[in-house]
Amino acid sequence: MKTVTINPVTRLEGHGKISIFLNDEGNVENAYFQVPELRGFEKFCEGRPVEEMPDITSRICGVCPEAHHIASTKALDAVFHVDPPRAARKLRELLYSAFFVADHITHFYVLAGPDFVMGPTAPKAERNILGIIGKVGLEVGGSVIKHRSDALDVIAAIGGKRVHPSCGLPGGVSKPITEEDRVKIEKTAESEVEFAKLTMKLFDDIVLGNKEYVNLITSDTFATETYYMGTVDDQNLVNFCDGKIRVVDPDGKEFAKYQAADYQQHIAEHVEPWTYLKYPYLKKIGWKGLIGGKDSGVYRATPLARLNVADGMATPIAESERKRMFETLGHKPVHSTLATHWARLVELVYAAERMLDLSRDPEITNTNVRTLPTFTPDEGIGAVEAPRGTLIHHYKTDERGIVKGVNLIVATTNNHAAISMSIKQAAQGLIKKGDVSDGILNMVEMAFRAYDPCYACATHTFPGQMPIDLKIYSKNGGLVQRLKRP
Amino acid sequence: MEKRRKGTITTTLLLGLGNPIIGDDGVGIHVVRMLKEKIQARKGLEFKELSVGGLRLVEEMLGYQKVFLIDSIESSPSEIGKVREYSVEDFKQTEQPSAPHVTNFATAFELYKRIEPEEIPEIVRIFTIGIDPEYTFREGLSPPVEKAAVELVDLIAKEIARN
Repeated sequence: MKTVTINPVTRLEGHGKISIFLNDEGNVENAYFQVPELRGFEKFCEGRPVEEMPDITSRICGVCPEAHHIASTKALDAVFHVDPPRAARKLRELLYSAFFVADHITHFYVLAGPDFVMGPTAPKAERNILGIIGKVGLEVGGSVIKHRSDALDVIAAIGGKRVHPSCGLPGGVSKPITEEDRVKIEKTAESEVEFAKLTMKLFDDIVLGNKEYVNLITSDTFATETYYMGTVDDQNLVNFCDGKIRVVDPDGKEFAKYQAADYQQHIAEHVEPWTYLKYPYLKKIGWKGLIGGKDSGVYRATPLARLNVADGMATPIAESERKRMFETLGHKPVHSTLATHWARLVELVYAAERMLDLSRDPEITNTNVRTLPTFTPDEGIGAVEAPRGTLIHHYKTDERGIVKGVNLIVATTNNHAAISMSIKQAAQGLIKKGDVSDGILNMVEMAFRAYDPCYACATHTFPGQMPIDLKIYSKNGGLVQRLKRP
Repeated sequence: MEKRRKGTITTTLLLGLGNPIIGDDGVGIHVVRMLKEKIQARKGLEFKELSVGGLRLVEEMLGYQKVFLIDSIESSPSEIGKVREYSVEDFKQTEQPSAPHVTNFATAFELYKRIEPEEIPEIVRIFTIGIDPEYTFREGLSPPVEKAAVELVDLIAKEIARN
């Protein structure tokens, strides 16, 4: 038997790897995705004032500090039993929508885009954002950077900083925005909506206009049937910040709908001895292993999952794009992992439109942005939809507000089982007779990349890459080939 | 919400990179905090602490003429606590193909160099301190890394004074 190891290593994620086991014929027999977990976070938080949690937790992820900051702030609302004023809720959502815009722009153009613009089997030296700019021109590249940067400026206007916002307080936010801020944000949002529409058109032209890519998206190699999870409002429309968590089965039928505070009644975590990261699953179905289908408790919480669980989007252009996606793919829920890229762009449009709506909301400049807590703190749960899935923060404190217990279920953890299954499925569909070229390796990675995995919620990386170390072992265990991404 | 542009008064950035809640990983931030205490506030000098990488890191460097970037670096046992200096070119070979989740420094720097050549710093000096990577949350530095941090603070303070 040969072993293929894809080793995505960064300084903080040093043990994460994908191992693919080949049989004597060189076909894939099994595949495992192993993830490290930074240890001791719960212990580290214990004994600290719970108000520090939004700043501490935003340090556990260098890519999505805003998601942790807002989830944590919502958990503080619950710990202190306090309802923020409407303007504060709207400011949080405005900040969060700007974050989604910046994050989804980055994922499409910088992380996922190269696979489609340059081609999945293009030489790896060209398969990056620099290759894209070389192909489509500096103007598009400049527009990507501008719109990403402008969205971060909105985060700074509300959250105080472009990186690691610090506005979240139990019961609200630290400051209102001025009319001058609002006007700038509105102008930015108008531009973001146009850019989101342009991005959707690019996706149409480059991806949907290419039969080979459409076949790839809809192929069985990249399809996994699971349950789906996401947050919806009271009309079952996608909502990133508030609402109930809805779960649908592989046929699209509602399986559960619950407040985030009740997550422990619905989610349990399975532990395997060979990986640090747990496998969350639907408690009422149970853990049946790394398999899909209605009888397995494996679920996905991704942009595609959010669209699968919702009845619609709350903004007009995004709703029209959502309908088009499901009509084109012919069914709902969509099980194709690569359709996650399409769903992400529908969400980009929604986030931009939501920014615009909120920037025009007369209440957004209201100066009443804080309800001071008056109750004794005890326990609270806060949840948001992070760009890559549902994120839950759960804190317990003593009567002085000193942290006694912490539990986080981060977005990628929700998807751990499904990621493993998608990798195995892609590997089985693509690796035949021991042929593991760089192009094939990249296509296996595409199944992984669609989830935008943030698997250790690593804080920062410098040089900040996830090198791929692919090892092929002979039947007797000797290393016969090694492909290494620098 | 206005962005920095070159030509404003502050022209040199002392940028500490790392995670202050993962022990030695945060040494870059500790060094910048020490420098802030040691060096008198003056025009043309700014301090930043960041726990991000890739695009966000390079975005925070735009508009400055000179950047001193201070970070930890995973090292072999004999290199732990050693101070090294690198240039951006030293990381050129790490420009990456499409990645699962992040864009690395070299790719992000090259991207901004092409798109915003007027804003990218003319000089970037990268100082690192060798560490044994940690996977446990804690505050503070180990003795060899703390010693190296003090050494690096002196070195950078002298460089700043000279310029």
